[in-house]
Amino acid sequence: MLAGSLIVTPVIIVIVRSFTTARLGAAVGFSLDNYMRVLHDPKILPMLQNSIVYAGGSALFGTLVGAMLAWIVARTNTPGKTLVELMPLYPILMPPVMKNIAWVLLLSPKSGILNNMLQQAFGIDHPVFNAFSMPAMIWVFGLTCVTLGYLFLLPVFLSFDPSLEESAYIAGSRPMRTLLRITFPLAIPAFLSALVLNFLRGLRSFETPVLQGSPGGIDVFVSKVYDSMSIDYNPGLATAYSAVLIVLSVAALILYVRTTRFSERYATITGKGYRVKVVDIGWWKYAAFVAVFVYFLIGIAIPFVVLIITSLIPYYDYETFMKFPTNVDLASYHRVMHHPSFVSGLYNSLALSIVIAVVTVFAGIVMAFTIYRTKVYGSKVFEFIGTIPLAFPPLVLSLGLIIAVIDSPFYNTLWALGAGLFIAYFPYALRNASGAIVNIHRELDEAAWVHGARWRHVFFRVTLPLLKPSIAGALFYIFIEALRNIDVAVLLVAPGMEYGPVTLFEYFRVGQWAEAAAGGVIYLVILIVTVTIAKFVFNVKFSL
Amino acid sequence: MSIVKVEGLYKTFADYRALDGVDFEFKHGVLSILGPSGCGKTTLLRCIAGLEVPDDGAIWIDGKVQTDIRKGILVPPYSREIGFVFQNYALWPHMTVYNNVAFGLKLRKVPDRDIRRRVLASLDLVGLPKLEDRYPSQLSGGQQQRVALARSLAMEPRLILLDEPLSNLDAKLREEMRVELKKLIKKVNISAIYVTHDQEEAFVISDYVIVMERGKILQYATPDDIYNWPAHQFVASFIGRSVLVDGQVMQATGDEMKVMIPDFNRAVLTCRRPNGVAVGETCQLVIRTSEVKLSSRPFEQTENVLQGVMTSRDYRGGLTDHRVQIGSREIVVTSHKLCPMISVEGDGNKVFLYVDKGAISVISDQPAVSAQAAAH
Repeated sequence: MLAGSLIVTPVIIVIVRSFTTARLGAAVGFSLDNYMRVLHDPKILPMLQNSIVYAGGSALFGTLVGAMLAWIVARTNTPGKTLVELMPLYPILMPPVMKNIAWVLLLSPKSGILNNMLQQAFGIDHPVFNAFSMPAMIWVFGLTCVTLGYLFLLPVFLSFDPSLEESAYIAGSRPMRTLLRITFPLAIPAFLSALVLNFLRGLRSFETPVLQGSPGGIDVFVSKVYDSMSIDYNPGLATAYSAVLIVLSVAALILYVRTTRFSERYATITGKGYRVKVVDIGWWKYAAFVAVFVYFLIGIAIPFVVLIITSLIPYYDYETFMKFPTNVDLASYHRVMHHPSFVSGLYNSLALSIVIAVVTVFAGIVMAFTIYRTKVYGSKVFEFIGTIPLAFPPLVLSLGLIIAVIDSPFYNTLWALGAGLFIAYFPYALRNASGAIVNIHRELDEAAWVHGARWRHVFFRVTLPLLKPSIAGALFYIFIEALRNIDVAVLLVAPGMEYGPVTLFEYFRVGQWAEAAAGGVIYLVILIVTVTIAKFVFNVKFSL
Repeated sequence: MSIVKVEGLYKTFADYRALDGVDFEFKHGVLSILGPSGCGKTTLLRCIAGLEVPDDGAIWIDGKVQTDIRKGILVPPYSREIGFVFQNYALWPHMTVYNNVAFGLKLRKVPDRDIRRRVLASLDLVGLPKLEDRYPSQLSGGQQQRVALARSLAMEPRLILLDEPLSNLDAKLREEMRVELKKLIKKVNISAIYVTHDQEEAFVISDYVIVMERGKILQYATPDDIYNWPAHQFVASFIGRSVLVDGQVMQATGDEMKVMIPDFNRAVLTCRRPNGVAVGETCQLVIRTSEVKLSSRPFEQTENVLQGVMTSRDYRGGLTDHRVQIGSREIVVTSHKLCPMISVEGDGNKVFLYVDKGAISVISDQPAVSAQAAAH
């Protein structure tokens, strides 16, 4: 009940507030002014176009690359596939904001490493790449979308019934033709699901629009919501932009549900035991290997190296960067570790992420248990409420939350930040617990009842112990996600109440790139340690 | 006092009626509930256990009311003090065999020493000594089944409910286990209700059998009575290998009658006469083909001999199925290797069938619950 109302409140506030004139704390009056302002904004159409081009372009690029990699891994004899098989770990090791920082360092028009290299090597007098352009935004966010495309399509190619292809061969179709006419068409539904979900993620994404779009004058709705709050400090306007964003998100979510249903009709898994057939693609396997290796370099190795080098030089500019390793210097680390807002932000993010992971996972289990294992009246409603936040961009949820707590003692406290993170990650915890509980055969509960167990016994002695593996997975996942969260925390932080990732984000915004890189590397080390513990001590499998 | 009494039980799932006015009373022993899948037998068992709440009706266990919908009484499953063996055993995979069996005893706060004694005794009883430290995944299907049984027996319940407990075992093991199960239940001297769709299993294990179809009890009687005196067309067709034919009573004297069968070229069969059946009435005859004798030469008897044409013989190892066309019907008569009954070469030959009076049951408008069973 508490969890439910916590989730519903910010949502209602965003919608109600979008119809009011008031600024924070002032009197409230019903008005359509905010919508009029949004609708009369001459930039509204370009903004809509930008949002769709950015989200759609990244989704298409990322999903296509992901699908190709999935096919290469699942069905071909390409050497070096292992590099791709580790892909589920990439986004964990390289959080979105780190990717943005690394690629801006590489592609920035003036000081970008790649631009300077090309200019010097070929004597070009203008920058080749522009990190603050739409193609660069699509490039960076598209790389983030690859993982989802890969993870959606891998099971399709792995569980593909070979007899579908074999019957095409017998009908006289050559391998290439079979691939184009049978294999790929059957993967289309899963591809569409991944595409739409990536599009939705693009609409909600925060880091790329704010760090790369805004400086280049490319506005999308998310960055406009952020600017309305951080520059204009006008929640009414922010909520009105949010409302447009919500409409877009909900439309994409509906589309996603539809494509998922469509893909169920296309099920190629027949339940018969068979082995996945690996196709010998001849000389193409070397081309595929190059593709895999290039992806590994671009997706993880180069940004990683750039970040680490930048953190180890006194300050960032191209010349200093190129002098590495003669100028190794831990000054950036020293500065961030003595900067109060980073230190307190690091502490807050660690403490809060642990608490949020535990609370969210436990609340998710209790709610899933109530929904699926008890006959509590109205429990199905909670299932719906629990999934609402998925339709709302995290930035919008934190906007609703900040308006809700502005006049309360919770304003500018870790409580508000904690509530925001709870709302953002509760749907994941609920879905994870629901999936796990549904998989526990009901007879195991019933056997406990007839042998004298009551609800609490069933929950603590049967359900909870059986959920252990998925609990460990969810705890680590939410801890990792919360630890690097920016889009929920960015509106809820205040001086004296910092959140580490937001501090890094601010370093970067004000041009302290070396500090941003040093702080980023500190977080990367924490993430690597966490993932290693999760994987080898708790045997957690990271999928998304 | 009855161990179980059920009155006016109704249960509907969405638009499917699982229980449609079920009444019965059962005193002691082993009762099987037999029927095809979807007949409501598992729902009935789950209602008795309290795992399912009926829409209407009342249930007593050992004379105490457990469910009475109209009075708003619903004793939860954990307070009914019964045993329940699930189809998939439902052993908790995260607990050892010992902890699975001890689970209910610990909840009842039985002293540790007694728990140990009772757990080991139950495991010994089901023939699984020294396996208490294993996990369910380390056991075979048959062993898991025994643990599930031990878990219920350790609670020393008055009544144990078994929901198709042998259906996940292979055929050979199933045959062994059903005999063992029967011995075990008799040994601990408790009552059991046993749900199954396997007629042979029901007959081997139980003292009484309830046959259900579409949420209703069609017949409640001893296995012998059900076999020899099926009270309903469905019961007859469900039990064993038999042929059901329509007939007309031509002559009725004392406890015998002659019935003309239009489908068998209007042949006449003599059989036992149920009470109140008169000349001219129509009835249905159930002929148990396993009791029919087959020969290529005419029998000495003149009564109850049918003539037919052998259409094919299907060899089944120790058994042979003979397909014989009589009039417009084909019946299958099975012979055993050791008593071949017939040595007809090829198909299309004329054969003779002798149907003993005892191999024929008559279905008329008898009450579903036969008098013998109701007396218990």
